[in-house]
Amino acid sequence: MSPRIISANLVVKLLNFSREKTTMFFVIAFPIILILLFGTIFMSQDNVEFHLCVQDLDRTNSSAHLVKTLKLNGKFKITDVDPAVNATQYVRDNQVNLVLIIPKDYERSFNQRIDTDDPNASVTITYVYDPSSSSVLTKIQILNSVFAYINQGLSGKPPFIRSVEKSILTKKYRFIEFFVPGIIAMAVMTLSLFSTVDSETELRQKGIIRKLSTTPITRTDWILSNILYQFILGVICTIAMLLVSYAVFNVSLHIDAWLLVFILLDVFAFVGIGMILTRFAREAQSAAAAANAVSLPMMFLSGSFFPIELMPGFLQKFAKTLPLFYVNEGLRAAMVFEDSMAALLDAAIIGVFAAVVFFLGIIATKWEEDK
Amino acid sequence: MTKETEYVIEVDKLTKRYGDLLAVNDISFTVNQGEVFAFLGPNGAGKTTTVEVIETIRTPTSGKVTLLGMDVTKKKHDIVPRIGVLPQGFSSFDRITVRETIQYYSRLFCCMNTDIDGLIELVNLKDKTKEQYKNLSGGLKQRLGIAIALVNDPEVVFLDEPTTGLDPRARHEVWDVLLGLKKKGKTVFLTTHYMEEAELLADTVAIISKGKVIAMGSPEELIERNANYLALTLKPVDGKVFEIVQKMGFEPVLDNHKNVEVRVEHTYDVQEILNAIKDAGALYLGLDVRKPNLEEVFLKLTGEALREDPPEMEPK
Repeated sequence: MSPRIISANLVVKLLNFSREKTTMFFVIAFPIILILLFGTIFMSQDNVEFHLCVQDLDRTNSSAHLVKTLKLNGKFKITDVDPAVNATQYVRDNQVNLVLIIPKDYERSFNQRIDTDDPNASVTITYVYDPSSSSVLTKIQILNSVFAYINQGLSGKPPFIRSVEKSILTKKYRFIEFFVPGIIAMAVMTLSLFSTVDSETELRQKGIIRKLSTTPITRTDWILSNILYQFILGVICTIAMLLVSYAVFNVSLHIDAWLLVFILLDVFAFVGIGMILTRFAREAQSAAAAANAVSLPMMFLSGSFFPIELMPGFLQKFAKTLPLFYVNEGLRAAMVFEDSMAALLDAAIIGVFAAVVFFLGIIATKWEEDK
Repeated sequence: MTKETEYVIEVDKLTKRYGDLLAVNDISFTVNQGEVFAFLGPNGAGKTTTVEVIETIRTPTSGKVTLLGMDVTKKKHDIVPRIGVLPQGFSSFDRITVRETIQYYSRLFCCMNTDIDGLIELVNLKDKTKEQYKNLSGGLKQRLGIAIALVNDPEVVFLDEPTTGLDPRARHEVWDVLLGLKKKGKTVFLTTHYMEEAELLADTVAIISKGKVIAMGSPEELIERNANYLALTLKPVDGKVFEIVQKMGFEPVLDNHKNVEVRVEHTYDVQEILNAIKDAGALYLGLDVRKPNLEEVFLKLTGEALREDPPEMEPK
């Protein structure tokens, strides 16, 4: 291993990269777009507000008070539906998924219950809904809980079972803050894997690898310089994502040396995998397909986008065999939970994996042209 | 070098197979220090495979190859710093300038004292030092490749088809650079399918066909040995000249331009033919007498033309 050769290689790669404006733009822009896109989606999950259409057939003070109560719940943005229209047709015509209908005799029944305490005095609220909509069940659940609360209040007795929420975290985090470490892990993986595969196949096809094989550079020098190069790109890309996350979403994350450790381990693992892939898939297209085959399951199954608890049991077990899962977990342990022991354990697991693929990558990298 | 390693390159019964394809078939030759050795043959003859075995890029199927006294299969790390290579179809990093590329390769060889400016001057790229590789023409790229092959001041320089794909002007510019190397006394191993290149540059030429070395010697020796005749070409006014030459017992042929071509053994045969034409009152508009070239030697030895062959078969 020669530091002089590694640094020469690193300098050439960085110079080449800095002069490829389009590549440079996409390396930085792609993760920023991901952060902005998914950040915007997940930010709304923290403060979700549903659109609720209400058709008040009673048009009284009491029915208006019920609508106001629903509005005050904070989960609904309410649209008033003209009592004269057909609610079913309204759902179809206006592409809404639910219309809540307050019946005509609402105030009379309400007063009857309050004034005479008549248990037979009741009203039926109707939900006219489109069952093909994914959010409609959530809306109905929220509405049912609001009505249960009102019913319990009308009974005049305090609730028997009460609940209190206690987070395991000392600080209240938003979903975006759990999401950012996952996106960093995924972006660094994608960058390391694809840029290794692309550049290795290009250099091989252009004959540059053949020329390099007639110089004193060794396979270890070559892979280490690639890892350093990808690490620098990974850090640039992470800084860009964090800046956007702080500026646009006002995230609160703990940044320390663990972040660099996990970027490095992420790079080590996926540059190694990239080297192994290019050994077996020599054409650019087949190498890119192989890289996709590796990266897509990692992206969707290792918990970068969705918590793995949402997946079936066997997929959860599979997720725990993926290296990116441990980078995700490690980064969250360090950046969100500030749990250095958990981060250390994840770093150890991904470290062992990275070391294995690094050595396999060295073995797989062949300077000689034939078997 | 010791007594037994007085040759810079010794190839002994080298065979190289790619599966069922026999690329190089039991060839042997030696290269002396300070000579320009040209491996001449059509595409697919086994030139690149042979040179890449010597350069330590490929491993031989059988046979022994010694470079600078070292076995190429065992001493790659000792050999590589002492050789310079311009591989076939040389390419480099697109956005790196000429100077940066030379510096890069110099650092790979850990050469502290590479005379970058001297190399740039040698390959005549002084005006292009800040030009990125992707903006260079084919000839300039090859000249840069030659400069890179010299960054470590190698004892042996391998140039694999240095002018293939270049236009005639660019080819001559590369030849100028190679003549400069020859003047410096470098040992150069050149592969080419251009006989003019081999004739102009080489001290020794080995002709390779279908994986076999079929003749070897200096260009003059090869021509003398295999094409010992003079080629007389006459541009006649009518068909009389052809008949006269034929009647004299020679075997004239008509080329595409209706010129009469005839091979003779001695210069006085030329004189006799011209006298006979004059005596018969026949006329010709012009004449040319020349010695045969390596192209004709190759044609005679193999029955095939040196050029217009199918592209070299890549190993599977």
